[in-house]
Amino acid sequence: MPPSGFPLSGDGRGTTLAWSDDPLLAAKFTVPAAPRHHVSRPRLLGRVGAGTHGPVTLVTGPAGAGKTALAAAWTRDGEPPGPVAWLTLDPHDAAPGIFWSYVVEALGRALPRSPGGISMPARPGSVGTSLLTRLAAATEHFPGPVVLVLDGFEKVAGRRVPAGLEFLLDHCGPLLRLVVTSRADPLLPLHRYRAEDRLTEIRGADLAFTSHEASALLHGHGLKPGDDVARALTRRTGGWAAGLRLCALAVQRTGDPDGFTRSFTGTEQAVSDYLVAEVLDTRPAATGELLLRASILDRLHPDLVNALTGRKDAEAVLAGLTRENAFVDPVPGTPWCRVHPLFADVLRAQLRIRHPALVPRLHARAARWLAGEGRVTEALEHAAEAGDWQYAASEAVRHLLAVAMFTAPDGERIERAFSRMPASVPGAGPALLAAACRLARHDRAGCRERLTEAGRHLRRSGKEPTPEAGLTHALLCLLCEPRADRQTDGRADGPGPDRQADGPGPPGPAEEAARAVADLMRRMPPELIRAHPEIEALRLYGLARSFLGRGRLAEGRRLCAEAAGACTTQASLPVQHLSLGLLAVAEAAAGALTAAEDHALRSLAVADQCGAAPDRRSGAACLALAAVACERDDQEAAHRRLGQALACRDVHEDPLLAAEAAVLRSRLELALGRWETALAALPLPGAGDAPWPAQRLALTRSAAALARGDHEAAAVAVHGTRADGPAPLLALARAHFAAGRTDRSLRLLARAGNSPDLSLPDRVGVQLLRARAALQAGDRAAAQHLLGRALEAARPERLRRPFGDAGPWLRHLLDGTGGTGPAPAPGSWLTARGGADLPDPVQPLSGRERDVLLCVQRMMSADEIADDLSLSVNTVKTHLRSVYRKLGVSRRREAVERGRELRIL
Amino acid sequence: MRYEFRVTGSVSRLMAEAFPELKAEPVPRQTLFSGAVTDEAHLYGLLARFQDLGLSVEEMRRLPE
Repeated sequence: MPPSGFPLSGDGRGTTLAWSDDPLLAAKFTVPAAPRHHVSRPRLLGRVGAGTHGPVTLVTGPAGAGKTALAAAWTRDGEPPGPVAWLTLDPHDAAPGIFWSYVVEALGRALPRSPGGISMPARPGSVGTSLLTRLAAATEHFPGPVVLVLDGFEKVAGRRVPAGLEFLLDHCGPLLRLVVTSRADPLLPLHRYRAEDRLTEIRGADLAFTSHEASALLHGHGLKPGDDVARALTRRTGGWAAGLRLCALAVQRTGDPDGFTRSFTGTEQAVSDYLVAEVLDTRPAATGELLLRASILDRLHPDLVNALTGRKDAEAVLAGLTRENAFVDPVPGTPWCRVHPLFADVLRAQLRIRHPALVPRLHARAARWLAGEGRVTEALEHAAEAGDWQYAASEAVRHLLAVAMFTAPDGERIERAFSRMPASVPGAGPALLAAACRLARHDRAGCRERLTEAGRHLRRSGKEPTPEAGLTHALLCLLCEPRADRQTDGRADGPGPDRQADGPGPPGPAEEAARAVADLMRRMPPELIRAHPEIEALRLYGLARSFLGRGRLAEGRRLCAEAAGACTTQASLPVQHLSLGLLAVAEAAAGALTAAEDHALRSLAVADQCGAAPDRRSGAACLALAAVACERDDQEAAHRRLGQALACRDVHEDPLLAAEAAVLRSRLELALGRWETALAALPLPGAGDAPWPAQRLALTRSAAALARGDHEAAAVAVHGTRADGPAPLLALARAHFAAGRTDRSLRLLARAGNSPDLSLPDRVGVQLLRARAALQAGDRAAAQHLLGRALEAARPERLRRPFGDAGPWLRHLLDGTGGTGPAPAPGSWLTARGGADLPDPVQPLSGRERDVLLCVQRMMSADEIADDLSLSVNTVKTHLRSVYRKLGVSRRREAVERGRELRIL
Repeated sequence: MRYEFRVTGSVSRLMAEAFPELKAEPVPRQTLFSGAVTDEAHLYGLLARFQDLGLSVEEMRRLPE
């Protein structure tokens, strides 16, 4: 029997997100400093303060309404009930893995000395539902109230981060208080929080300045306006904080509050439009030019701005603008600053109109400065904007980013940057990047084509390619499944059924590529290799694919497991997702169903953990779960999982997975007795197919033909493929048996049965066919003995399909195996749906936990469950939490699904 | 699909240039922006851009093809 699974050294734990000493990262956890001329707004501070008694405070309003200023002022002066964990969000934080690791870091910084009992889940590698449950549990042990401020929540829009936050709010202890500022209402069940009185809202209308506050603001800028001026400006701006500040700036310039107010209120121009023009036009020309050139940036660094202007005054100009509190906000604790979005867009448009030719040049300069500072991803984006593809590609190759495209958290950004590169850009670097982009889109043929071109350039350049370029080339070659030419193909894959399993054979192109990668890795600086564990992981994964493609399942599985174990950083989690998924597919095919299920579920958990976007996920894990369900004769689950798998792109594009999906669809149709659709589900054999998927398809075609009663077609289907391994022998044996050639069939079975490569389903199949032959020969005792052995072999994995496929003769024989003794029939598990003989993949639930889960299945609320079971609501929640933890899920529906899968329900 | 956005106040050419994909047309006390919108993501992006620029959208509608 094949080993039921490989121990994985990595285990998904122990991976850490390196908290680089990037000051911009540290700034995310810093409370923004009070601006000069800050207006204290006690009415709002009081409301935030009151809000932090309840769990959630929501501050919403348009840009420039003063949301962040309010939250920051409250943190500084509002007497928070306990330590405040501050997190400023950016658009790149929308992946749950990244978001939650920031939340954990923010809480860790706010609670520097975690007293005993609090185990902060400080391992972003284990982010995911389990992190959320542990986070919720950790909040129960807070020494006192802790406030978490999420500033700019609209930047992490989408459903997944808010869904996690909803879970946390539903399960955290009473000491976690949340303050969320957002431009748009977050996707939280606000209506429910309102009804439960758990939400304090401070909305745009509340944030609007009263004329009294406006007057204080103008006073702060050294102006002494009359009440009527303050009232008029408040009315005209609608109390918009940013607008009032701009009014103050404009009035400061003109020194004529009445005149300004008259012309401002007299015009029909949009408020922001009028004020922006007013403020920009009154800047000195040099400042205007600087802002214009810097508008291509999201964040301004004085040196970077100097690089764009060719001057040396950026620091002074930016400091001046910051001091004026006009539209430049410093990023706390760093020399960086940000231009208010109101101005950024206008300035960008102005630059486009006035100096269209300058825009690409500025981007090119920014790219070089950023690359020099080690901000490579940003540099690539600017180089792409500049159309400077040679530079972009050479930098990407130098930093091994062509490979990181599949793995790194910002891989999508890199892919997006290069996706616009025209095909006509010459050179090895651009060809390598184009190849990587194609592979990221599962276009293997396109990838191979670009790689050939890259290889030509690398050879033609005359000198030895850099190790980075060589490594990128070799690794991409390995991953896109190199094709050997025809003759070596035949030699490497063996001519017939007798040749299998007699050694590794000559190295194929995949092994050569893998060896080249390993050689080049040794030639590179060790610290660079250590920083990129995903390279070794991808090498092993690529090699595993090649072995699987050639039908060498045992080696393929070992390499998949090694690849998953080599993933030790956040950046390599996507490779772990891929490797575990592929491992599960191979295990399901070999009949190691329990291991396949386990690895598939872990693959899915890893994908959640690294926040992989749905269109970048691999369907391998769902495919494996579908195959497991099919082997266990659970058609409904198999259909559901197959549907999920087919929603992923790689199940259609990846030849290995596409073949498995077709096999599965065909088997499911066959189980329904629809032979024609079962045959139609299988693609016709193509010349370029890898041997193993081709064989899987051929054997399934043979089974479908046999089910239809066409034993000749069944035999032909097997003969049409390269017949490695024992599986084709079994298929032929079945065809001959159906044709009445029992002797020949038994000879084939003997050969197949002796093979060490026999998979579990095939071994069971061999025994069943022998049992049938024995029955036909009238030897009922021998048949029952063989059937008993088949049942014994299949039972640990609950493998049911071979018995279901065998035909009606089996039922009669089965009825006889039980005898009359008191012991249950050895075949009883075949039809049983209970969980008695199941291995326990999870910690068993306690009786109470199971009761609670049963109630959850009946869609009862926590209160109803508490009533029903005569427990307190808190106890119910505690039970629920441990159910979630034990089942590794984060929400009720998943708990019920998982409970059904594990047959707890 | 084509959309029309009605924004409060008149909007200068400078600010309208922040929407190169839309045509701006002044009407009394308002500005009409109209043009082709690629998909929903583009639509939400436009709304966010209006918000960024402090422009308030009073009305938005899909134009008949």
